[in-house]
Amino acid sequence: MELAWYALLGLFFASYLVLAGYDYGVGLSLAGNADPGRRRAALNAVGPFFLGNEVWLVAAVGILFGAFPVLEGELLSGFYPIVLGALAGVILVTAGVQLRSRPAHERVRARWDRVVVVGSTLAALGWGALLAGLLQGVPRHADGHIAGLTHLLTPFVAAAALATVALVAVHGATFLTLRLPAADAAGAGRLARRLVPVAIAAVGAATVVGLLSARVRETAQRPALGVLLPVALVAALLVARVALARRRPGVAFAATGAALALPVVLVGATLWPYALVSTVDSGASLTVADAAASGPTLRLLGWLALPLVPALLGFQLMCWWVFRGRTDGRAPVYW
Amino acid sequence: MDTLLLARLQFATTAGIHFLFVVVTLGLVTLLVGLQTAWVITGKQKYERLTRFWGQLYVINYVLGIATGIVMEFQFGLNWSGVSRYVGNVFGAPLAIETLVAFFLESTFLGMWIFGWHRLRRGVHLALLWGVALTAYASAFWILVANSWLQNPVGYEVRDGVAHLTDFGALLTNPTFGMAFGHVVAASLLVGGMLMAAVSAYHLIRRTPDYALHRTSLRIGLVTSALAITLVQGFGFAQFGPVGAVQPTKFGAGDDAQATIAEWTAQFGPGDYTPPVLASVGLGFMILIGLTLGTLWLLLPLLFRDWIIRLRVPLWLILLAVPLPLVAVILGWLAREVGRQPWVAYGLLPVDQAVSPVGAPVMLVSLIGFSLLLGTLAVTNWVLMARHAVRGAHDPALGRPPGPSADVPTEPAFV
Ligand code: HDD
Ligand code: HEM
Ligand code: HEM
Repeated sequence: MELAWYALLGLFFASYLVLAGYDYGVGLSLAGNADPGRRRAALNAVGPFFLGNEVWLVAAVGILFGAFPVLEGELLSGFYPIVLGALAGVILVTAGVQLRSRPAHERVRARWDRVVVVGSTLAALGWGALLAGLLQGVPRHADGHIAGLTHLLTPFVAAAALATVALVAVHGATFLTLRLPAADAAGAGRLARRLVPVAIAAVGAATVVGLLSARVRETAQRPALGVLLPVALVAALLVARVALARRRPGVAFAATGAALALPVVLVGATLWPYALVSTVDSGASLTVADAAASGPTLRLLGWLALPLVPALLGFQLMCWWVFRGRTDGRAPVYW
Repeated sequence: MDTLLLARLQFATTAGIHFLFVVVTLGLVTLLVGLQTAWVITGKQKYERLTRFWGQLYVINYVLGIATGIVMEFQFGLNWSGVSRYVGNVFGAPLAIETLVAFFLESTFLGMWIFGWHRLRRGVHLALLWGVALTAYASAFWILVANSWLQNPVGYEVRDGVAHLTDFGALLTNPTFGMAFGHVVAASLLVGGMLMAAVSAYHLIRRTPDYALHRTSLRIGLVTSALAITLVQGFGFAQFGPVGAVQPTKFGAGDDAQATIAEWTAQFGPGDYTPPVLASVGLGFMILIGLTLGTLWLLLPLLFRDWIIRLRVPLWLILLAVPLPLVAVILGWLAREVGRQPWVAYGLLPVDQAVSPVGAPVMLVSLIGFSLLLGTLAVTNWVLMARHAVRGAHDPALGRPPGPSADVPTEPAFV
C-alpha cells in the first residue's frame, strides 16, 4: 500500500518536472531571444498546456500531504530555503507567462519576460537542489525534527541544482523544436544541440562532486542505482543529440523528458526503504512506511484514486491530443 | 518576534490575499457559465461578446488565485509541520482529495478553454467552462471541509498522540461546514455580481458606445447581487447556532465558555483560552456591511424603464460599493479563524504545538518575501484588471479570431 502511494507520488512529481520542465526551459530560452514576436511565439507554443502542467505540482503536494503527512512536514520545513526559492520561482513563472501579454507595450512585455526568466531559473535550481538534498541525507534527530539549515550548503547541492537548470534548458529548446512552426523550429533545434554538451558537462560535474562527498556515499542505500543515475542521464542526452541531428524532435523530446523524470525515480530507489536518511543518527531515518498516513486514510484515498487517476490522465491526454502538432496562424494567441 | 506569531501572520496574509481572488473567481465563473450557455443556446452575438469580455477579466483574476494558492498549499508543510504530524492523517485527506478532484481538472480545463476558441466545437468549448465551474465549486467544498475540521475536529481518535481517521462521513456532516459553505458560495456570487454591475455602471456613466451590452450586464449583475445578499444573510445568521454549539468560546463568554475553558485548563494546563477581540470586531463590521448591502433590493425596481441608468446616482452608488463585499469577506475570515484561537484544531491541537521548529529569522524572511511578492503581484493584477475593464468589450484578447490584430503588431510567426 505505502509503496503504491510512494510510486504515485513519484509519478506526479516526475510528471511535473517533465511537463513544467519544458515551461521553464522555454522560459529560459527567452533570455537569449531579442525578437518580441519570437518570444511570444515561444510562450504560445506552451500555450494550452501551461496551466495543466503546473498543476501536477499541486497534485503531488496534495498526495504528499494526504498520504505522507509526516514526510510533508519534515521535508518542506527541513528544506525551508530551497522550497522557498523554488516556490518563488513557480509563482514568478505563473504570473509572468499569464500576464506578460496583458499590457500592450513591448517594453513592459520585455520586463515581464525577464520575470519569467528569473522564475524559471529559480524553479529549476530549487527542485534540483531538493533532489540533491534528499540524496545527501538530512540531520534528522531522534525527536523527529531536522535541525538547522546549514546542512543544505554543500557543493553537491549547488552542482546538482545547476545541472538541473541545464537539463531544463535542453528540454525546453527541444520542446520548441517539436512545436514551433517548421520554419522557426530549426533555430530552436540548433540551440538544443548546442546545449546538450553543456548539460552533459554539468551532470558530469555533479556526479564527481557527489562521488567525492562522504555524506552522499553513506546516504545511498543502493549505491549501484545511484551510479546508474548519471549514466542514464548522459545516455538520454546523447540520444537527444543524435535525434536532433537527424531531425526526429519527437524522439529527442522523449529523451530529454526521460532525463528529467529519471532523477526522481532513481533518487527514490536509491534511498528506499527510507524517504529521509539521517546523517546524524541512523535510528532517526524516516522510512517510507513510517512516513505514510495510517491505514484508514490510505484506504479512503485509495478508493478515490482508483477511478480518479485514470480520469485525470484522460483529460490531460485530451488536452495534448486536441492541441497536438505544430503551432500555426490558426491557433489563438493568448500568452 | 517569535516564530509562532510570524507563521500566523504569514498564514493570515497569504490566505487573505488568496481569498480576495478566489471569491471573484467563484462568483465570475458562475456568471460566465450563464453567459456562455446563453450564447450557445440563443446564438446571440451579445452573449458572445459578454463571455469574451468577462472571460478576459476572469482569466486575469485567476492568475493570482493560482499563485497564492500554491503558497497556501506549501505553507502547511513549511510553517505548520505540527499540523501534518499530529492531525495530518485526518486533515490531509480532504486536502488531497481537493487537489486531485478539483484543482487538477480545473486548470486542465481552463487551459483548454482559453486556447479552445475557434478550434473546438461550441458544445465542447462550453462543456469545458462547465467543467471549470464545477471543479471550482468542488475545490471550495473540499477546502471548507478541511477548514471545518480544524474548527471542529470530528471522526477521529487519538492513538499514541496522533489523530487517526475513523469516520470520514462525519467530516462531511460537520456542523461547522454546511452553512459556512452556503455562506461562502453566496458571498462569492455577491462579489461577482457586484463587480459585474459596477464595471457596467462605469461604462454607462462614461457613456461608452456599448450601451446595450453594458445595460445587459448591469441587470445581470444587479439581480445576482440582490439574490446573493439575501442568501448571504440567511446562511450567515444560520451559522450562529451550529458554530456556537461546538465552539463555546467563539461568540461570547457565557457559562458554556467558562465550562469549556475550565475543562481545557484541566487537560492542557492553564493558559489564555479566550480568542482575541479582533474576532468579534470583524464579525460585527461584517454583519454591518451585510445588512447595508441588503439595500441592493431597493435598486431593483429602478431597472424598470432603465431608471437606474437615467438617474445616474444609483450607478455611482454601485461603483463605490464594490470594496464593501471584499472587505466583508476578509472580516468574516478574521472572525472565523481568529475566533478559534489559540487552537489550530479546536480543543485538540494548540497553535504553539503546530508551528514548525524553524528559526524566527528564516520565518521572517519568508513572511516579508512572500508578503512583498504576493502583495506586488496582487496590486499589479488589479491594475491590469482595472485597465482591461475600462478598455471595454470591443476587442478582448481572449477568444480573438486568429490572424493579424492591433494588439500584436510584429508577429512574424503568426501573421
Ligand atoms: C460578502 C461577504 C460577506 C457578507 C456581506 C457577510 N459575510 Fe459572514 N462571512 C463571510 C462573508 C460575508 C465569509 C468570508 O465568507 C466567512 C468567513 C468564513 C465563512 O464561512 O464565511 C464569513 C463568516 C461568518 C461567520 C463566522 C462563522 C464561524 O466563525 O465559523 C458568521 C457568524 C457570519 N459570517 C455571519 C454573517 C452575517 C449574520 C452577515 C450579515 C447579515 C454576514 N455574515 C455577512
Ligand atoms: C481563504 C480564506 C482564509 C482566511 C482569510 C484565513 C485567515 C486566517 C487567519 C487570519 C489566520 C491567523 C489567525 C491568528 O492566528 O490570528 C489563519 C490561520 C490559519 N488558518 Fe486560515 N484562513 C482561511 C482559510 C483557511 C482554510 C481554508 C484553512 C484550512 C484548510 C485554514 C487553516 C489555517 C491554519 C492552519 C492557520 C494557522 C493556525 C492558526 O494561527 O490558527 N485557513 N487563517
Ligand atoms: C475557503 C477558502 C478557499 C477557497 C474557497 C479556495 C478556492 C480556490 C479556488 C476556486 C481556486 C482556483 C483558482 C482561482 O480560482 O483563482 C483556488 C486555487 C488554489 N488554492 Fe484555494 N481556496 C481556499 C483556500 C485554500 C487553502 C487553505 C489552500 C491551501 C491548501 C488553497 C490552495 C490552493 C491552491 C494550491 C490553488 C491553485 C490550484 C491551481 O493551480 O489551479 N486554497 N482556491
